[in-house]
Amino acid sequence: MVRGWKAVLAVAGLAVLGAIPSVTLAQDKMQGDSMKKDSAMQDSMQHEDMGPDKNAKPLLTGTFHGKVHSTSGRATVYQGADGKKILRLTHFKTSNGPDVHVILVAAKDAKDDANFISGNVERIELGKLKGNEGDQNYELPENIDLAKFQTVSIYCERFNANFGAAPLAKF
Amino acid sequence: MNSKQNGWIGRNKWILILVTIPVLAVAWWEFRPEKLFLNEKVNEAAPFAASVEPQAIYTGVLEGKAHPTSGRATIYKSPDGKSFLRLSDFVTSNGPDVHVVLLKADEKALGGVAITGELDKVELGSLKGNQGNQNYDLPATTDLNKYKTVAIYCERFHVIFGTSQLEKF
Repeated sequence: MVRGWKAVLAVAGLAVLGAIPSVTLAQDKMQGDSMKKDSAMQDSMQHEDMGPDKNAKPLLTGTFHGKVHSTSGRATVYQGADGKKILRLTHFKTSNGPDVHVILVAAKDAKDDANFISGNVERIELGKLKGNEGDQNYELPENIDLAKFQTVSIYCERFNANFGAAPLAKF
Repeated sequence: MNSKQNGWIGRNKWILILVTIPVLAVAWWEFRPEKLFLNEKVNEAAPFAASVEPQAIYTGVLEGKAHPTSGRATIYKSPDGKSFLRLSDFVTSNGPDVHVVLLKADEKALGGVAITGELDKVELGSLKGNQGNQNYDLPATTDLNKYKTVAIYCERFHVIFGTSQLEKF
């Protein structure tokens, strides 16, 4: 009987050990959420900073396709007068999910079931998806090669799943 | 045997509960199943102020049908309410009596069917040039919810050179 107890305790211990990384994950998530608020504030600040930037021009645009996790809407890359590039999602809708990010992939387009890790596709992280519906902006890194990274993907990091992809074409 | 098992579960139920709860918690953090039902809606402003310039409202890429055609077709709306179609980076083949028209998305002629009889279209005018950027005014009554396919249409031979399916910008 004592052995039985020990075995059960060992299993419980393992389960708790397993829970620790997910607890830290949970903390990440909460930080992420607060970061979301920060970035929302930053965005509104940006809005003020950039002011009436009538010179922000669309460079590239494309529409999302995605059937596994129904994704729709438009992705557009804008360039401001200061040279900064911003990815803007409009009429956007996708399914919610854990640890979903906006990325650019070095491909002309991505299949709905594309696996970017096994496919060894180069990716650029733009940040956590701010919301699964609605208009939203993401800053692009400077010196990004948009001739190479031609496709926007809504990408679930946890399951390496492409929710939807938008191939960009010149506006 | 049965009563012995019950007895073991009974004696160890708190341990079983202690094991099960973290396992369920881990599974929940991994899969976050509630996210399938919960939406997070955002509505950020554009990174620029709405300007006095015309705003793009629909756009699409041009594709060749009977003749190679490429470029972009975009419908802009001016602050005064007028709309116009702009072709940019536009290339098609030259031809006689070529027009720019708007068709319904389910127009049979788009399936490659030879056009017989009257084509249900919104006429935007003769093609100004077979290459280059160009603008066409839209009639004020144009219903863009219905007519959202741009077609480069050769009236003389009833042939569609190229088309673009417009989608919201």
